[in-house]
Amino acid sequence: MPYLELKNVSKHFGRLAAVEEVNLQVGKGEILGIVGPNGSGKTTLINLISGYYRPTKGTIYFNGKKISGLRPDKIAELGIIRTFQSNVLYEGTTVVESMLISSYQQYSTNNWQSFLETKAWKDDNEKAVGRVIELVKLLDLLNDTFLPAEGLSHGYQRMLGIAMAMIANPQVLLLDEPTTGMNHEEAMFVVDKIKLLSEQGVTVILIEHNMKVLLNVATRVVCLSFGNKIADGIPEEVMNEKEVIEAYLGTEIL
Amino acid sequence: MRYFFKTIHLIDYKNIVPKTVIGLFIILILLIPVFTRNVVTLSTLIMTGIWAVAAMGFTLVLRTGQFSLGQSAFMALGGYASAILTAQMGLPFWPSFLVSGLVSGLIALLVGMVVLRVGGIYFSIITLALGEIVRIIALQWEPLTRGSRGIIASAPPPIILGGHELVNFNASLAPYFYFMICLVAVTGLVFWRIGESRLGRTFAGTALNPVLAEHQGIYLMKYRVIAFTVAGVFTGYAGALYTHFLQVITPMVFGLWQSIQIMIMSIVGGIGSLVGGPIVGSILLYNLGEYLSRLDTPGLQSFLFGSVVVIVVMFLPQGAGLVNLWERFWNKVVWREEEYEPDEPED
Repeated sequence: MPYLELKNVSKHFGRLAAVEEVNLQVGKGEILGIVGPNGSGKTTLINLISGYYRPTKGTIYFNGKKISGLRPDKIAELGIIRTFQSNVLYEGTTVVESMLISSYQQYSTNNWQSFLETKAWKDDNEKAVGRVIELVKLLDLLNDTFLPAEGLSHGYQRMLGIAMAMIANPQVLLLDEPTTGMNHEEAMFVVDKIKLLSEQGVTVILIEHNMKVLLNVATRVVCLSFGNKIADGIPEEVMNEKEVIEAYLGTEIL
Repeated sequence: MRYFFKTIHLIDYKNIVPKTVIGLFIILILLIPVFTRNVVTLSTLIMTGIWAVAAMGFTLVLRTGQFSLGQSAFMALGGYASAILTAQMGLPFWPSFLVSGLVSGLIALLVGMVVLRVGGIYFSIITLALGEIVRIIALQWEPLTRGSRGIIASAPPPIILGGHELVNFNASLAPYFYFMICLVAVTGLVFWRIGESRLGRTFAGTALNPVLAEHQGIYLMKYRVIAFTVAGVFTGYAGALYTHFLQVITPMVFGLWQSIQIMIMSIVGGIGSLVGGPIVGSILLYNLGEYLSRLDTPGLQSFLFGSVVVIVVMFLPQGAGLVNLWERFWNKVVWREEEYEPDEPED
C-alpha cells in the first residue's frame, strides 16, 4: 500500500483546470521531485495535499486514511507539513520566537498544564527548546537566533521556513521551491539537509526548477504540464523524455 | 492590523522591574483607603480598575489578531445578569455575581463559535452589531430588564463573621476599593499566566500569520474562541462590579462609545503587555476623561481622547504604547542594557 496516494485528483478554478486527473503514489522515505513549466499546477498540487484547497474531484489518502476535505490543521496534525513558495514568516518575531511558535506540535502536555506551570510542562518545554536549538544549529541560523526574522537575508529566510517546517514533526515534508534565490553552495547545503531528513524516514516532496539540485537529491521525478502528469520515473529518464523537453522548450517546427 | 504585534515578547529575558519595587508599590496601593476617605478619589480609582479589566479583555482578543468593537456589550451582559438575578429574582449577591461573568462568557462562546470561523473584519462588524443588539434587547424586554427605566441593583450585603460585622459596603467606599483590587488581581493573574504559557505563543501565531499557523497544526478558531470567551468572562465581572458600584444599570450605560473607550485605553497603554498596558492606559485615560468632563465644554473629551491616540500611535507605534516607554526607561537608564552579542559557535 502506498504511503501517500492521489487518486484522480482534479482542481478547477472556474473553467480553468489547474490540476487534471492526477494519479500519484509516494512511498515512505522517498524524495519525490515535481517539475513542470510555470502554471503547470505544481503549487496547486502541494496546496491540495496540505489542505489549503479541496480537490474538485478525486481523493487523497495518507497511510490508508482519506485526508482530502480535512482542515489544514488536521492534516498538519497527521504529519504532513509544507513550506511556502514565498517567504512566509511570523512578522515581528525573532528567529527563536518563530521556532517556538512552530514547535506547537512538539508538546505532549496540554494548555492547562502549561497554564498552571506543572513539572510535566516545564520538562516538556525544556525538551522543545532543546530541539529548537538543535535545529537552529543544523540549519546554520545560530548567529541569527535572536534577530528579527524579517531582517534575515532571502536565503536565510528560506532556511528559517524549512526549519519551522522541520520542527513541526513532519512525516511528509512538502517543500515548495526550497532553493529559490540561493547560490549553488547554499542550494547544496539544503540538499544535504533534505537527504538527512530522508535517512530519518521522512518522505519529502519538493518542487524544484534547479536541475542540478533535483538530479542530486530526488529518487523519483514527476513532470506536470497544464495540470496533467506527463512523465514519472527516475530523474535522468524523465529529463530526457521527449514530452518533458517539449513542455519546457516547445516543439520544433519544421 | 499586523502593525500592532511587533512588540510581543514570547520569552522573558530578564525581570524588567525589581521585585521589591513591585512589592512596595502594591502595599502602597493597598493602603490608599487608609490615607484617604475622599469619595471622589476612591470612586475614580474604582472606576479605573473596572475599565482596566475591560481593557485587558480587549487586549487578549487583539492578541489573537481579532479586533472586537463590542467589548462593552459584555460589561452590559454581566451587569444585567447580576442585576436581574439579585434585584428581579431575589437571589443572594455572591452567587449571582459569580454567575454574571459566566453568562457573559457563554454568550461570548456562542457568538465566537459562529463568527470566529472567518474572523477579521467580519468579526469586528458582528461585535459592533452585538453591542447594539444587547442594548436594544435591554431596552425592549421590559418584564425582565424594566426597559429604559433600568434596574436598581443593591450594594453587596455586609460580610458578617462570628456575629461581628466585618465589611459593610454601605458605610464607605473602601470595601468596593478592595473588591476592585481583587478583581484586577485575579484577572491580571489569569491573563499573565495566559501570556506566559503556551497559549500566549499560540495566540501570537494565529495573529501574526494565520495561514502559516494553520499549516503547522494550530486550529485557528479554537484559540480565537478561547481568547474571546476568557475576555468575555472577565469583562462580564467588570460590568457586574460597575453595576453594583453605581447601584443602577440602564441600557444607555454601555454603548459604542464605551467600546471605543476600552479600545483606546488598550492601544494607548500598549499591547506588548497583557496586564500592565491596559492598567496604564485606563489610569491615564479614565482620569483625563473625568477631568475633562468637569470642564463643561461639550466634545472636548472626545477630541482630546482622539489626540492622545494619535500622539501615542505616532511616537510609540506598532502597539508599543506607554508600557514600552517604561520598559525602555528601565532597560536603558536603570539596567544600562548592552547590545546582545551571540557566542561564536564551537567546533
